Amino acid sequence: MKKLFLCLLFVAPALFSCENSDDTLFEESADTRLNAALASYEKLLVDAPYGWNAIIYPKGGGTYGFHFKFNDQNRVVMYSDFSAETAAKPKESSYRLKAMQTPSLIFDTYSYLHILSDPNPDVNGGGVGEGLQSDFEFSIFPDSLKEETVTFVGRKNQSRLVLTKATQAQATAYANGDLAKAVLFNNISKYQTYFKRITVGNITYEITPNQQTRTIKLTWLEGNVPKNFTTGYYFAGASLIFLKPLVNGSQTINGFTNFTWNANPTQLRFSAGGANTVVQEAIKPLSVDIAAVRRWWQEPVESGGDWRTEFGFHVNGVDDAFGVKDLEYEDKQYAYYSYVPGGDTRYEVFSPIFFTADALFQEYGHLGEPPTFTADGRIILTARGTFGAVPTSGPAINSVNLLYEKSGYYLIQTSETTYDMVSAKDAKAWISWE
Amino acid sequence: MLAKTISKIFFLGMLASSALLSSCKEEKIGEVEDIPGLGGDTWVPGPVDKWILDSMTTPYNISAKYKWDQFEFGNITKTLVPPDEAQVIPLLRTITKAWTIPYVQEAGKVFYNKFSPKFFILSGSNEYNAEGSVTLGTAEGGRKVVLFGVNLFKIKGMQGYNAAEDSSFVKDWFLHTIHHEFGHILHQTVLYPVEYKNITKSLYQGGNWINWSNEDARRDGFVTAYSSLNFDEDFVEMIAMMLTEGKAGFDKIVNSIPEGTSPRGVTKAQAQASLRQKEAIVVAYYKNTWNIDFYSLQKRVRGSMNQLF
Repeated sequence: MKKLFLCLLFVAPALFSCENSDDTLFEESADTRLNAALASYEKLLVDAPYGWNAIIYPKGGGTYGFHFKFNDQNRVVMYSDFSAETAAKPKESSYRLKAMQTPSLIFDTYSYLHILSDPNPDVNGGGVGEGLQSDFEFSIFPDSLKEETVTFVGRKNQSRLVLTKATQAQATAYANGDLAKAVLFNNISKYQTYFKRITVGNITYEITPNQQTRTIKLTWLEGNVPKNFTTGYYFAGASLIFLKPLVNGSQTINGFTNFTWNANPTQLRFSAGGANTVVQEAIKPLSVDIAAVRRWWQEPVESGGDWRTEFGFHVNGVDDAFGVKDLEYEDKQYAYYSYVPGGDTRYEVFSPIFFTADALFQEYGHLGEPPTFTADGRIILTARGTFGAVPTSGPAINSVNLLYEKSGYYLIQTSETTYDMVSAKDAKAWISWE
Repeated sequence: MLAKTISKIFFLGMLASSALLSSCKEEKIGEVEDIPGLGGDTWVPGPVDKWILDSMTTPYNISAKYKWDQFEFGNITKTLVPPDEAQVIPLLRTITKAWTIPYVQEAGKVFYNKFSPKFFILSGSNEYNAEGSVTLGTAEGGRKVVLFGVNLFKIKGMQGYNAAEDSSFVKDWFLHTIHHEFGHILHQTVLYPVEYKNITKSLYQGGNWINWSNEDARRDGFVTAYSSLNFDEDFVEMIAMMLTEGKAGFDKIVNSIPEGTSPRGVTKAQAQASLRQKEAIVVAYYKNTWNIDFYSLQKRVRGSMNQLF
């Protein structure tokens, strides 16, 4: 019986295998079609005579502009708006198209695009081991291809990469260093005041750029009512481009262009909405959020927490101007600076916090009187005493002397849980509390 | 017995006939020569590809992959970037000079081509680990070596070279890694004498090595902290340190062990004696097993490194 089954087993394939025509839905095999698709994608990329203008939206945030020129030898030459250097100097690297789970475009040796993905935080200011969570391997979907615009999706972080065919004039502009002119805008960080203003037409805007997240906030007054507009931005050609335009009455601002930069005296000029403007220092907000100081002060009183800063004061363009990060106490290392509002009855406490392997220590600090809140929205802090072995000079003393500056401080809420405390005297000193 | 034989023949007959019958209507299997990705990725070769072919693949049958392929890396969840093309030849040339050529000169091309790992995989960035360390290199089965941090590599003559930082970086990073991994291949082929395991038998740390500094480890008779992981790592760390530090450098390490007794009860004299015993076994192992004069090899490796930094 057993043998009979075995015999059948052998005979069965013989009987079935004579009838094995496999009609397919398609005229050509999957491999043939895949090869044809890859070849057509490559042709599309290579055939754009003046290359492609590109924008990438990394998962980690921000928006970055590129110009790519592909050739049929697996080479690509690019510019990037990441820095002054990458905007001015073209870099050649390699790319290839590969059949993976989807047809994919891979930038397969290091290029300006990889700067955003680099896991080394020294390269891009991103997270350790993850960079800005960008991509350099992209899936190609059938609907991602249009004659003038191509959209790819990153395989690792799903960053979106949008390519638009460049014109001859645009290609020439990149070759002539126009992108380097656009990134002159980054010099806005060299203004020493916290507040900066531009006037476009007859409207004065307070401009607050964030170069790490690539956003710009514009604030203006309608009568006495402050209005805000925030947009992402990137650079293309000689311009800074807003991701969405600001429409303010008859005025429309799509971005900035025609940049000129002068280091001494500090002067950044550009045109916006068709009008020329110059960035000017301001020592106070265009519109003071008068309630902000009390909100900031009240928050830890209610929650029982404290405000913390790792870097202490930024002064005259220098982060951690007093070097609080170098503070030490015996064998303990500096962790952060803490500010604990005392509520209506107790002392305010301003002190460095130190750590060892397993604990935090508050070894000394400065005590303040209950603060004064002025009608124009400032907080004024004054000394009351000290506790612990306070050093007689150095970062702790420099910090507390500036803290008790008699003009006081404005508080600018920068997110739900963070505030910048900006000197009302000249707006050139501030602490970012979190 | 007879019945069995018959049934065997019968089965064989059936087997043959089923093969015959089923092949009666053989269809062509299509364009097999044109399956995408089969036979590896292709691209138009450039100067870097030519250098690798001429300097590594043709003479030593070694390939080096520098173009991005996520799946070559052990942990595909890690964020890495490919090497900068400008870094590839300087790095590979350095490895050739300070590893390939000394071994070929000392032991011959047959030996080297037989035992050297065949696939080099390059990553531009380091691999960052959750606990805050970075991975320098990995090796798989004596065939494949992955080197990280290629974009950070600098030698004399490259832009931004800083002798103080970069020479020790390249030595401790790339060259140490490759000599370390090659040591594994050798002892996995022919094991070192078992006496080696007895020298500091009770002092190995296992995974706890990470909490020790090299200085601590040396007081117990280990050449590096990583040596104290287990016998095999100890053996190849000895090889890597002795080759990349040279004789004088190794002597300096032995002589720098401070006076007194280590927290684990090892005296200075005992620690030094342990290191010297290990050295002697490594030298004897190279001579007896591979017919290589270790000190001569050491001189060649160190000599080539002196030219690079």
